[in-house]
Amino acid sequence: MMGILFSRILITPIDFVGVVTVGGLEMENGVRRWLVNISQWNPSEAQFASVISLFRVDEQTAITRYIKFEDKKRALVSRLLQYSLVHEVLGIPSDKIIIHRTAEGKPYLKNSIDFPFSNFNFNVSHHGDYVGIASEPLCLVGLDIVSITTPKQETELEFINNFSPYLTALEWKNIAHAGSSEEMLAEFYRYWCLKEAFVKAIGAGLDYGLCRLEFHHTNWTGVSVYIDGVESKKWRFSLSKLDEKHWASIARGLPNKANELCCSDLSLPELGFTFRTVEELISNVN
Amino acid sequence: MATVSAASVRFASLKPASRSNQTNGVTSGVKFVTIGTSKLSFPSLRSSRFRVHCAAKPETVNKVIDIVKKQLALSDDTSLTPESKFSSLGADSLDTVEIVMCLEEEFDISVDEDNSQNITTVQEAADLIEKLVLQKAEAA
Repeated sequence: MMGILFSRILITPIDFVGVVTVGGLEMENGVRRWLVNISQWNPSEAQFASVISLFRVDEQTAITRYIKFEDKKRALVSRLLQYSLVHEVLGIPSDKIIIHRTAEGKPYLKNSIDFPFSNFNFNVSHHGDYVGIASEPLCLVGLDIVSITTPKQETELEFINNFSPYLTALEWKNIAHAGSSEEMLAEFYRYWCLKEAFVKAIGAGLDYGLCRLEFHHTNWTGVSVYIDGVESKKWRFSLSKLDEKHWASIARGLPNKANELCCSDLSLPELGFTFRTVEELISNVN
Repeated sequence: MATVSAASVRFASLKPASRSNQTNGVTSGVKFVTIGTSKLSFPSLRSSRFRVHCAAKPETVNKVIDIVKKQLALSDDTSLTPESKFSSLGADSLDTVEIVMCLEEEFDISVDEDNSQNITTVQEAADLIEKLVLQKAEAA
């Protein structure tokens, strides 16, 4: 049904606020791609405390239990993104939003949602300077951000070798032929990013073998995944360079029971990321 | 009883995995990273088959602490105790793989599916390591 709805709408370029214009009217389509650069937010202790206090006690505890301040910051910004997005897309008052986590730790909206957003789902990620969120009304969505970090205790090759069980022979070959050790490292991180986005989209935990996934691409465009050697038509991927050291991948897939015909969402072009500031998110949530 | 908010680490098998989804609590692959969750977190159901009876020696605990501190670049004055929960240390999936690798190398053990256990704290990791070291010695 959703597929029919979308396929009949004349899709104007989906602008960055995630709405579709239909006959001059803006319709919420539930799609968001937001990023925050947390290196640009340096709150004082007092400021940080006041932002934390916007959340319920259980969320506050979840944030403050991190030892490193950078982790607390990421946890807080992640929640700001989640609550802000749900509030904006679904119109639920911030204090009524209930976000729980699966056994694997994936956050999800507990509030019951009506059609057409009954399969609304989102995913968050952070690494390095960025915290991000992606949402979709129907397709499953996974987001992963990687920060390409030169290993400190070992060489790039030694570092990459730690992950050999998680990559396929083809992927290894591509990494090995990427050029300098920096280029190999970046290549590895891109593969890792895609794998993580997929696993996060399906909400899998440890019982998913990353080496079952093989990513094919042409210069990192037209990315597709082979699962257990078979190309999957139910998944689309995109990989974006955020800056010299950061990449983000989005995995979008059809929910289990859907077949390709019933959901043309998957063929919609991938939306670019919008950069948000912490201040904007705070005022959204307040 | 599974505690949803508990954070625990399951040492994933690091051997090339030809195994697929298994339902006996055995896993391969690495936990994905999610914000604000215990990065080394997995369902906290403790399998009764693997209950550890003896607490690990302090040296083992200290070695675990050293490896974790180094891997997560925690400052020297960060106090890590045997009770420290992995969930609070902000390890992501890449860190998890490396920590397990380091522990395997340091103790010359192999953490495979049959031995995997849910670990929530440094002490529990050390306990598992000693159990594996003992098993290896007994098997030799």
